[in-house]
Amino acid sequence: MSDARPDDEGGGGDSDAPGVEAAESAAEAESDVPAHRARSRSGRIDSEQRQGTPYTESQVIMPTVKIVAPFAFTYGLFITFHGSGSPGGGFQGGAIMAAVVFMIAFAFGIEATRDWLANTVVVGLAVGGALAFAGIGLIPVARGGAFLQYDLLPVPVKYGLESVEIFGIAAIVSGVLMGLFFLLARGFDSDGSGFGDTGSVDDAGDDAASDLDAPETSDRTAAADGGER
Amino acid sequence: MTGASSLAAPVVAQVTAIEASLLAFVVLTALATALARDVLAAVIVFGAYSLGMAALYTFYRAPDVALTEAAISAGVTTVLLLLTLAKTTRIDHDAVFESVNLPAVGAVGVLFGGLLLTMGDIPAVGSPEAPVWSNPDVSQWYLSESYAQTGVENTVMAVLAAFRGFDTFGEAVVVLAGGIAALIVLHREVFA
Amino acid sequence: MTLVDAGVAAGYTVADFLLLAAAGFTLLAIGMLYRAVRGPTMQDRVLAVNVLGTNTVVILAILAAALSEPTFLDIALVYALLNFLMAIAISKFTVERGGVL
Repeated sequence: MSDARPDDEGGGGDSDAPGVEAAESAAEAESDVPAHRARSRSGRIDSEQRQGTPYTESQVIMPTVKIVAPFAFTYGLFITFHGSGSPGGGFQGGAIMAAVVFMIAFAFGIEATRDWLANTVVVGLAVGGALAFAGIGLIPVARGGAFLQYDLLPVPVKYGLESVEIFGIAAIVSGVLMGLFFLLARGFDSDGSGFGDTGSVDDAGDDAASDLDAPETSDRTAAADGGER
Repeated sequence: MTGASSLAAPVVAQVTAIEASLLAFVVLTALATALARDVLAAVIVFGAYSLGMAALYTFYRAPDVALTEAAISAGVTTVLLLLTLAKTTRIDHDAVFESVNLPAVGAVGVLFGGLLLTMGDIPAVGSPEAPVWSNPDVSQWYLSESYAQTGVENTVMAVLAAFRGFDTFGEAVVVLAGGIAALIVLHREVFA
Repeated sequence: MTLVDAGVAAGYTVADFLLLAAAGFTLLAIGMLYRAVRGPTMQDRVLAVNVLGTNTVVILAILAAALSEPTFLDIALVYALLNFLMAIAISKFTVERGGVL
């Protein structure tokens, strides 16, 4: 894979990429910046310059993920929906479905996946799951029973349990795990402005809330960065 | 295990080959995770640890726990730890293992020995006299009543979602609160 | 083959042999652990953890057969699917230490 990446850079139609690479490697050789950090900065700039096109990373990983991901996602759904008859349930199935998103992000680039899977989807899953769980629990209360008293639901008890697992737990777990993944991938104040780079390039693709946040973020980053070095 | 006089012998007699090898694997991976000098190596060996734990849970007929271990550790924990490591700097080491602090090992050893002394009073794994199994009001009641009352064959799910449903609701909200706390800690307002 | 026949005649069931085979695979996993811990390069460790994952899938499948619980195969399937994720995550991380993530 380490061989494949420079070839991609050269043949990808990105005319200034080899020059950037050479300059980076020259700077790498003489400066005291750790090699991996310099390389990571160059990779980030490249993927930003290409405006969200998935950076063709590996000829092995991408086709394999294309084949495996649908099956893994279906299996996550199976684990979620068949929690009543076989091992598993909402938690495990939700984790597997989130893992499928991780898989896709590793194959097609985290930034591209972040754009594909909007923030509203992630937040909607997490918060909607909690609201669905509470709502299913409160329906029996409205009918004069206790919280989550399934026999007061208009469906059989078994389907009440499964609806809690599917709409509640699986949604919460998958949403929160995806959110944690994207959060950790972006890191602490390093959304393109970390490590001393220019500020709001990365925020261009994000939604309005993040745009409003951008100047403040870069200020804070500069302070944090100065403190760090 | 019931006789306090012979502490070790019955234990060895009960442990089968698969249990012994799985336990050895789990202990070795746990030690290697704790001692590995390079953090990435520790993360990788920790993945191996979870593999052994999943097999052990499976052998003890706890498929739900094993499935959770598989999904969370193989799919999620390793990835999240790697993403965190990607944001840190690497320090090159020559040594494979961490240097061991002997007083700490002594303290842990004393604690371990103290805990080991209590093992004689713990019922054997799978023993029919174990309170967790023989309790007629809790375990046996769930096992006999969960299908009749919920129509769900998987008792674990029946207990989680129905009999202990309010606890599960609390846990689900805790998961959501964990996500929100991560947002606050990392100074973000959006996940993606 | 004659050994198996003798064992069955001596009162051991097929499940016992399967459990013994699972124990053997676990011993192999312990051997592979040496490469995962020691492995001079990260590529060694990636391969080792991949082999360990495949090994665990086999162990889980054998356990499902030995304990005659077909639903335990679910766990083996989950591991087979997610071990791939672990392998690509670690191997992509190994390139430039996460710079390409």
